Amino acid sequence: MIAFDHLKKNDPHLRMLGMAVLVGLLILLAGLWWVQIISHHRHTDSERNQSYRTVRIPAIRGKIFDRNGGVLAENRPSYDINLYLNELRPQFEEEFMRIRPRRAVTNPPPVWKRWLGIETPKVELVRLSRQQRDQLTAQAQYNVARRVVDEVGQVLGEEIPLTPEEFRRHYLQLRALPMPVRKNIDATQLARFLENTHLPQGVDLDVEPLRHYPQGRTAAHLVGHLVKDTRSQPGEVASVDYRMTDFRGNLGLEYVFDADLRGRAGVKSVLVNSAGYRISQNVWVADEPGRNVVLTIDLPLQRAAEEALASVGPDVRGAVVVMDARSGDLYALVSAPAYDPNAFVPGISSAEMAELNDPVMKPMRNRATQENYRPGSVFKIVTALACLQSGILNETNLHEPLPNPGFIMVGRRRIDDEAAAGEYTFERAFIKSSNTYFIHYGILAGFKAMQRAGMEFQFGQAMSLPTRQNTSGTFPDPAWIRSQRESAGLYWADGDTANLSMGQGFIDVTPLQIAVMIGAIANGGTLLQPRLVQRVESPRGAAEEIGTREFPPEIRGRLSFDPEHLALIRQVMRADVGNIHPGPNRGTGYKAEVPGMNICAKTGTAENKRPGESRVDKKDVWFASFAPLEDPKYVVIVMVENGVFGGETAAPVAKKIYQAIQKREQSGDFPTSRQFANR
Amino acid sequence: MPTASPKQPRLGTEEWLLIGATLCLLVIAALFIHSARYTTESAEDYPWFRQYYVKQIIFYLMGLTGAVLFNFLDYHSWARWSLVGYWGSIILLLLVPLIGFSAGGATRWINLGLFNLQPSELAKLAFIFMLAGFLSRPDGELRLVGNFWKALAMMALPFFLILKEPDLGSALIFIPVGLVMMFVGGIPKRYLFKLVGGVSVLVALVLVDVLFAPKSLQFIQLEEYQKHRLLTYFGMDFAPKDATPEERLKWEKIQRDKSYQSRQALIAVGSGGFHGKGWREGRQTSLKYLPPGAAHNDFIFSVIAEETGFIGSATCVALFGVVLFTGIRIAGQARDRLGKLLAVGVVTYIFSHVFINIGMNIRIMPVTGVPLPLLSYGGTSAIVSLIAIGVLHNVHLYRRAY
Repeated sequence: MIAFDHLKKNDPHLRMLGMAVLVGLLILLAGLWWVQIISHHRHTDSERNQSYRTVRIPAIRGKIFDRNGGVLAENRPSYDINLYLNELRPQFEEEFMRIRPRRAVTNPPPVWKRWLGIETPKVELVRLSRQQRDQLTAQAQYNVARRVVDEVGQVLGEEIPLTPEEFRRHYLQLRALPMPVRKNIDATQLARFLENTHLPQGVDLDVEPLRHYPQGRTAAHLVGHLVKDTRSQPGEVASVDYRMTDFRGNLGLEYVFDADLRGRAGVKSVLVNSAGYRISQNVWVADEPGRNVVLTIDLPLQRAAEEALASVGPDVRGAVVVMDARSGDLYALVSAPAYDPNAFVPGISSAEMAELNDPVMKPMRNRATQENYRPGSVFKIVTALACLQSGILNETNLHEPLPNPGFIMVGRRRIDDEAAAGEYTFERAFIKSSNTYFIHYGILAGFKAMQRAGMEFQFGQAMSLPTRQNTSGTFPDPAWIRSQRESAGLYWADGDTANLSMGQGFIDVTPLQIAVMIGAIANGGTLLQPRLVQRVESPRGAAEEIGTREFPPEIRGRLSFDPEHLALIRQVMRADVGNIHPGPNRGTGYKAEVPGMNICAKTGTAENKRPGESRVDKKDVWFASFAPLEDPKYVVIVMVENGVFGGETAAPVAKKIYQAIQKREQSGDFPTSRQFANR
Repeated sequence: MPTASPKQPRLGTEEWLLIGATLCLLVIAALFIHSARYTTESAEDYPWFRQYYVKQIIFYLMGLTGAVLFNFLDYHSWARWSLVGYWGSIILLLLVPLIGFSAGGATRWINLGLFNLQPSELAKLAFIFMLAGFLSRPDGELRLVGNFWKALAMMALPFFLILKEPDLGSALIFIPVGLVMMFVGGIPKRYLFKLVGGVSVLVALVLVDVLFAPKSLQFIQLEEYQKHRLLTYFGMDFAPKDATPEERLKWEKIQRDKSYQSRQALIAVGSGGFHGKGWREGRQTSLKYLPPGAAHNDFIFSVIAEETGFIGSATCVALFGVVLFTGIRIAGQARDRLGKLLAVGVVTYIFSHVFINIGMNIRIMPVTGVPLPLLSYGGTSAIVSLIAIGVLHNVHLYRRAY
């Protein structure tokens, strides 16, 4: 270096100075190298961390359709009025200066000023401690926000609450996000807001999708409902600074298909300055909209079935299943009472929640699949099949009358018969639902035969409907017998067989299990898996291959009964409804008869003592049916809690449903199910 | 010292390396003062004549004019006024507490209407002249203890006045400048060693007292903020050892607030990386994480480092290196001891500022209010730095003939 050539020769002092300067500059360079090159990433991370906030944006939830494209669940825009705090900063400062305490200066001006007469009273700002300053700043910010919110309130024509605490909380925790002023304004308010050209600064209208169930209570149990959610789903950016309100399915299809419906949440990043205010934002990860779920349910039929069930009386509790006898497609699945899933969005009140938790009405329970009932006389179909299969009932004694004194003694117990005393052939016993007849032959056939027949229909097994509202019921299969023997010391006796023969005692079923049973009898022996969901499809429609998932019809099993025996059962079921034996000899289900439908059915009336009910003065009544006889297409199961008799309470409900089916068929747009079961 | 040639300026031999490096630094300064103030000024619609970089350019023009004028007259003639200059600046420093105005808890400026005069800056230059003149005496006299003490007193007077403002950083500058000038001037080394040793022991004691002693045993009462800066620099907890958990929380918050500047400056420099984020693209500046009150003056280097990266910051260091080594060469070629000491004084003055200021940006020095010469925004600093460069050049022009 030029500087040193000269210095070396004569001046050690300057040389030392030069060395010191050189070392100093090299230290600086090394320091800069260390900070800017070696630890660059660490500092870049710190910089990012302090200047970006990530916000999770939930994806738009998929829709739920019925089989014709009718909408069961969709999203409607929620118009929210938001306050962007960063735009209010100048006003915050102005307000702070305005409310800052001042005082007149007390010490007198200098002599010469007084002498010249240019004495002016001076006002100066009072010095504030840090704490006072913070308090005053918070006060000023709240004043400004309050003023803006009041102005918005005037535009909307309502008082909008905003407490200082609410404002403070948002300011301290979510400053980079807009502050919600009023969520979900109605159409009138929206119009008033949009008309107003002099909105205060910082106020803006944002649109957010909100879950909406246009059918209200219709099919509410199937659809389920949402609750607020704060968890991240797999495959998302897990750590975000802020989360927008998100919902997750809590029940029904919303719950089971949550992953499909929900899609994948996106993430946006907000650039904030040192005061924490929002400067700009951009999307980091785009959201993936949720997929749609298409059901087998036919909305007009579902509605008709609900109306039919409601016609029983106020506060009716019951269930209806309408199923395709050939494919297992569920056209309607009704449980009453229902609730409005819209009540859960955006949040549910505690009064509404208390109503939903009523211990007797239990509106949240899906009675078609989730509650246990005694099948009552409906189970005589199984008893009959057991007798036929074991040969106890056969060609020779089918038409042979059995005398019925109006009761039967089983051991020392007397069981009354609802059917009048008299002579009963098989058909008469079936359509009059004689306890004596079926207990007599049931005990003759033996418990083993009954057990085998019941297991053919897979009683005691859940139907695994994708709503997670399944219960398995009770059936005395060998495993159950074993466990009861071990736990309760139960030994099966003839009395138990007698009870089972008429669908009482140790048996519980769901209306859906009965639907599967009737379906198998109707279609000639195929136990169908009830199908509720046809497919999950991409939000762009069924044509889009990606993301589309089909759920084809499934078979649970095949009955090993003689087809002739099944045909016989179908015959007597028809006799129960059709006026083949008119007058006093007609069947119990005659009130369901619809001309042209050839309905086949078995009624049931079961004693069912539920917790909370002291007496069994009302009974659970059934109407288990299919139609038409010659080519069974539909299975209709009606179950009403606390009815009078199956034929009295449930049959008229079924009649209304069959009439609705007839109307649907005539309208021509009722899609026929894929033929699946072979007879 | 043999001086054969008459005191004529050796015109046509201007030191272009020095001038060039200086002008480069001035251009960089104007650019990045603009960048540092850009967010504020564009948001508040400053008229162009109120924008800081324009004001700074005016200060530069004033300073450059001063520096050029300074070169018309031999430095010996200027040095005759050193006594006036020194005592004048001392008077100004005495006036500061009376008529000066405060900002941020310190009284450092006198309002002159057009700009705020910072007498401590003037005092630095005046002190260099004063000491250079004082030390320009026969070697024999320099060996007298009395003269050593006199020189020391010359240094101590402005040092303590500035320390009282309080402005620890500016005050500290007097120590290396004084010591180096005495060393090069020929004050016997044993005196200097004793002085340096004594000062070191004293500083160590002060630090131990401030940092480790319990409250009752703290004899040296630093200003609270000075103490916090030292604690921050040494990475120590603010909270006293016997603090309750609530107190500790309170102290931790204060500590975060106090170390904020230093941390943000480091993040700014570090996130600049190798090539920086681009002019006016520095987020630390535009999002105001670097405090807007300091970004354009004490922390201008952070802005430069963030936006131009290692390339830019190393270039700045290199430009200062050119100025400093040219200065040392000028010292070596000076006609007499006065010229040599003036040059050495200016070099040390610039070097100390550069080292302390850049050092605090990368946390190898504690945060003190020391401006970066030629780069930081500020009228007095700009003008004084440029005149200091003018002094260097003057020594060069009237150098010894071979």
